[in-house]
Amino acid sequence: MYRGNQIKVGSALLLSACLLSGCWSSKEIEDQAIYTGLALDVGTEDKEKIKQMEQLGSPPMENVLTGTIQIVPQKSFGSRGNASSNQQKPYVNSVQSGNSVFEIMRMYSLIRDRPVIGHHLKVIVLSTDLLKKYAIDQLLDFTLRDNDIRPSCLVFLARGQAAEAMTMNQPADVPSFHIKDMERNRFRNNKIMKGITLTNLNALMNTKQSYILQTIASVKGKDEFYGAGIIKGKTGKWIGNLDSNDVASISWIRGTGQGGLIKTLDERDQIITYEIKSMKSKIIPKVKGDSVSFHVEIKSKGRLIENWDAEQNFSKVPYLKAAEKRFERKLASEIQTILDKMQSRYKVDVSGFGKQLSLSHPQVWKKVKDDWDDVFSRSSVTFTIDLTITDYGSSTG
Amino acid sequence: MWSKAVNYVPEWKTWVEAGLTLLAPLVMRRLSTTLRTWVGKRSPQEPQASTAPPSDPLTGDFQAEKARLKQQLGRNSDVHFREFELAGSQTPAMLVFVEGMQNEDLICNQVLKMLMQEPLCTEGELDQLSGQHLGSYLQDRLLPLPGIPEVTELLELKRSILSGYTALLIEGLPRAFLVGTPSPRTRAITEPTSEALLRGSRVGFTEMISENTAMLRQQGRTDDMVIESFEVGSRIQRTLAIAYMSEIVNPDLLKEVKDRIAAINMDFLAESGYIEQLIEDNPLSPFQQVQNTERPDRTISALLEGRVAILLEGSPFALLVPVTFTMLIQSPEDYFERWLPGSLLRMLRFLAAFLSLMTPSLYISFISFHPGLLPTELAITIAETRQGVPFPSLIEILILEISIEILREAGIRLPKPIGPAMGIVGGLIIGEAAVQAGIVSPMLVIIVAVTAISSFAIPMYSAGITLRMLRFIAMLFASVLGMLGTILFFLLLCSHMTKLKSFGVPYVTPVSPFRFNDWKDLFIRAPLPLMRHRPNMMKTEDKKRRS
Amino acid sequence: MFTRTDDKITSTQASIFLTDAVLGAGILTLPRGVTEIVKTPDVWLSILFGGVVIILVVFIMTKLSQQFVGKTVFQYAKRIVGRIPGGILTSLLVIYFIVICGFEVRVLAEVTMYFLLEGTPIWGILMPFIWVSSYLILGGINSIARVFQIIFPISIFILIIAYILSTRIFDINNLRPVLSNGIMPVFSGLKSTILVYTGCEVVMVLVAHMQHPKQAVRAMITGISIPLTLYFITVVMVIGGMSVDAVQRSTWPTIDLLRSFEIAGLFFERFEFPFLVIWMMQLFCNFTSFFYSSSLGISQIFGLPFRSTVFGLMPVLFLAASIPQRINDVFSLGDYIGYASLGMFVLVPVLLSIVLLIRKKGLKQHV
Repeated sequence: MYRGNQIKVGSALLLSACLLSGCWSSKEIEDQAIYTGLALDVGTEDKEKIKQMEQLGSPPMENVLTGTIQIVPQKSFGSRGNASSNQQKPYVNSVQSGNSVFEIMRMYSLIRDRPVIGHHLKVIVLSTDLLKKYAIDQLLDFTLRDNDIRPSCLVFLARGQAAEAMTMNQPADVPSFHIKDMERNRFRNNKIMKGITLTNLNALMNTKQSYILQTIASVKGKDEFYGAGIIKGKTGKWIGNLDSNDVASISWIRGTGQGGLIKTLDERDQIITYEIKSMKSKIIPKVKGDSVSFHVEIKSKGRLIENWDAEQNFSKVPYLKAAEKRFERKLASEIQTILDKMQSRYKVDVSGFGKQLSLSHPQVWKKVKDDWDDVFSRSSVTFTIDLTITDYGSSTG
Repeated sequence: MWSKAVNYVPEWKTWVEAGLTLLAPLVMRRLSTTLRTWVGKRSPQEPQASTAPPSDPLTGDFQAEKARLKQQLGRNSDVHFREFELAGSQTPAMLVFVEGMQNEDLICNQVLKMLMQEPLCTEGELDQLSGQHLGSYLQDRLLPLPGIPEVTELLELKRSILSGYTALLIEGLPRAFLVGTPSPRTRAITEPTSEALLRGSRVGFTEMISENTAMLRQQGRTDDMVIESFEVGSRIQRTLAIAYMSEIVNPDLLKEVKDRIAAINMDFLAESGYIEQLIEDNPLSPFQQVQNTERPDRTISALLEGRVAILLEGSPFALLVPVTFTMLIQSPEDYFERWLPGSLLRMLRFLAAFLSLMTPSLYISFISFHPGLLPTELAITIAETRQGVPFPSLIEILILEISIEILREAGIRLPKPIGPAMGIVGGLIIGEAAVQAGIVSPMLVIIVAVTAISSFAIPMYSAGITLRMLRFIAMLFASVLGMLGTILFFLLLCSHMTKLKSFGVPYVTPVSPFRFNDWKDLFIRAPLPLMRHRPNMMKTEDKKRRS
Repeated sequence: MFTRTDDKITSTQASIFLTDAVLGAGILTLPRGVTEIVKTPDVWLSILFGGVVIILVVFIMTKLSQQFVGKTVFQYAKRIVGRIPGGILTSLLVIYFIVICGFEVRVLAEVTMYFLLEGTPIWGILMPFIWVSSYLILGGINSIARVFQIIFPISIFILIIAYILSTRIFDINNLRPVLSNGIMPVFSGLKSTILVYTGCEVVMVLVAHMQHPKQAVRAMITGISIPLTLYFITVVMVIGGMSVDAVQRSTWPTIDLLRSFEIAGLFFERFEFPFLVIWMMQLFCNFTSFFYSSSLGISQIFGLPFRSTVFGLMPVLFLAASIPQRINDVFSLGDYIGYASLGMFVLVPVLLSIVLLIRKKGLKQHV
């Protein structure tokens, strides 16, 4: 009896020891490198490196892609407490080149002592040069499949080198956080698009329709949202850029802007500015036989927020009405510009006309959706604008 | 088709693993049954040889009785034999008592003075006063005492003397009078230390069972409350009392309690904790299945809920049965304060219970397994603060948790004046120094502190211990399987608690089985006018609180 | 009576038991499974129609079980169609339950290994899960029902919060246009929606354990309506939040929905964490209910002690979960289970009901 007990206790202990030893997936957080930003560029030829690698006996490399990941926090060498003294940047960018995104991801393990984990990836920046060569589906396929990377990650384009968006000359800022937080300023300026997450992008790519992605320009070492890049739905490649005003105009057409302004000149060539308080738009598709046409109704309420003309008196309704007309005219010309760009220059629809058609005329949509961009560039678009200045701030002048 | 099916036949390794799946629980099962038979052997008391001890009456022969008593009790140095003669006659008499257990004044003034100074009566009468007459004369005319029990059996006399009575033996009388009742030294009634309240009575039970039952009676006047006494302990006997409201308590519950008390077989019951462990349902469970309290007001309200209180001589802790898990998290103050703060405090305590149980294991699963589930900024902060910590999170947290436990244990034993000082020194200095030394991360100090404080927010001390103990098991689970381990631990705990019963009441009532009426007194404490019924789970005879 | 000796459950517990039996892995895979077939945002209509069908099925099963108070299908099948045929029919049911068990725990292992515990061997996940579940099952149906009752409100609460939070990416346009391709896609989706309700066969075991079998119909309909509602909300939120196009390209759409947004400032910035927690607990319940039903079935069909069948089934379940080799096998196993559930429905409740009707009404036999 007693011996039997011993065996039982022993086997139970053995079992628990087996269990305890098996902390299979346990990896301490500080032993991993968290990367928050990823930038993909066209592969660069680092002659020096290739030479050195060849001396080491490496087979000739053909680098298609260059990936830059932004790692925070930087590993500090036990310098606890006196972090303020060193003016080091709070992040490290690590660059690798290779043929596939995943290959690059795993190459970091060759040069870094800690494995990189993508749970906290916030921003992916793609260079437009790269997107000229490869479809966005190909480039982002890994990020959509990977189990670490969350689909809430935002995707942007970069004019020129995407890696530049990941560096900034402000020492305390982490560029990827900076970009992500800038996206939240949408309520102040409609030149910022609603951030496109990987989930959104997944859907956009699946519809095979064209769309735009916000572009980041690195100006004097600072990241700046400037305009957008157009991705052609069929090929998934970048075909051209829109500037900031175009982005704002698209937000007017879609009615998605949350804030922003219209600036124009009054009759004495003085600057007057309209602050958008609300905007609404309605795209009404009209189908006649095979031809599709659209009418856009834009309505907005706002405030006269700035006036350089001392002779104006906005406390009188006629003046306000006149100003409204001027703002409307300005906005109309902006919208006409973007419509021209879409329909004649790039021949794409990136402002949601197709979506509206699919909602109201699903049968028609089914017929035209495969070459919607062409159909759209042939269809006529009209619009009406109705701006209302509801107040003029705390100064009546 | 066949080859395709063969493809899916698992490899031999899978078969081995499947075998292991079976083996491990079988081993566990054998282990638990063995342990259960070991621990839970509640052998009922052997039917006591109810044959009364051989009758051994007192004879009235003074010298013979004296010799017999001296022979049997004389070994005890604290037993005193005071011999004297009755005033006015040469009748020898003797007082026998145990030093320190009787009231000196009473014996001197009311007994010795009367017997030795006042002549009994005239000479002539004295001769007639023998036997029966002398006895009744003493009782009726001489001794101004409220009650003078008589003892005729030697064995009983011996027991009475040892339990503190003063016996008077007189030549010629085949009886002994118990002239002095035992007056043991008691302490003052003090505030209950383990269940102190800001608002509420300041009275706590003492070690005297008669005082305790009196305290229960003094809570209010009722003819409903019944206090029944039992003698427990096979070698040293103690009085055990059970109290209940005869019109409220469920008779089945009462019978169960009595049965279990009758089954107690132990030579001595030092504290009510012995009773608790001997009558509980599942001795292998980490949860207490009997509530203990020092507070008469808590006891009386438990009785009104249809529960039964068990009091033991020599213990200031009353036991309340049955108990459910949620009762352990309630405090009498919930009812004394207004219902809103009462409810909020109660929810706070539930939160505290959860925190004290789960925080360390959540920490481990986040830090070591799922950095992706933390908010980004937090993840980066933690990663930064943990730079240079040499241990994995399990070891790190064990270091600090165990030192906190040691501190707590030491704090109880420290002399009062230096206790708080040591607590501060220990808590603050050790935490700070450990961070400075880079053994633990500052985040962890917060975690451990929150855990420790939470565990003290639980009003029942013993429930707090249970949670603290389980916390370590939760940590082990988390360190193997991360979040999944933590969840499995929670599920295991739930499974165990739903299986557990306290005197037939499922331990997690009223959450499950769901009793909506009892929810008024669960997470919130409903306003008193709403609480019209006694708890459903007690299945009381009288359901309504109000007539 | 103070201490209960009978192992019966209340009507509420029975409802929750059924809910937990149905609400399992489907909540993660359902949106994709149906959307792949329907391909329009009308998926929610399929769910509703499927729900109506399944309520009918549950109704038939309940009515059948009510004819034999206190008897499970394993016991009364023998009385209706005879000892051997009844034994074979119910053995099929048991096998079906075992396969579901294996499937559920395998899905749990797959999701856990992918999202939470990369690198942990599969047995390290399966074994403890099976052990904890068997510990609970040994406590009998009453303990099981009580645990379900504790877990159920937590799950619902977190699930509702998760869905409320996901309204921030909800876009009603993703659910429009309604019926763009007519009603046909909706019906084609019906097939795969009915599959997510697999497991409602436990009704035929559950009714026997009810304290008040008279309330069985109401309890069972409630029990099936809760998962129906939850599935409906899930599909609406997932498609509304991600659009049909993204759902089709996602392996675990519901998790992806919750991974698609972050709530800055809240303690849980990432809501897939609480969601995964309750989902695992829900799968535990789901697994437990089938584990219980199958071990009860074996013990009642072959007259074995319940305790031994629980122990005996543990390695069987482990093997059942280990058989699929790729994730495709897992998903196609899920599909097969769906078809099997149709077969089971025709074989067990329908066949038994018809035979019972013929014997009772036609042959005037006393069964």
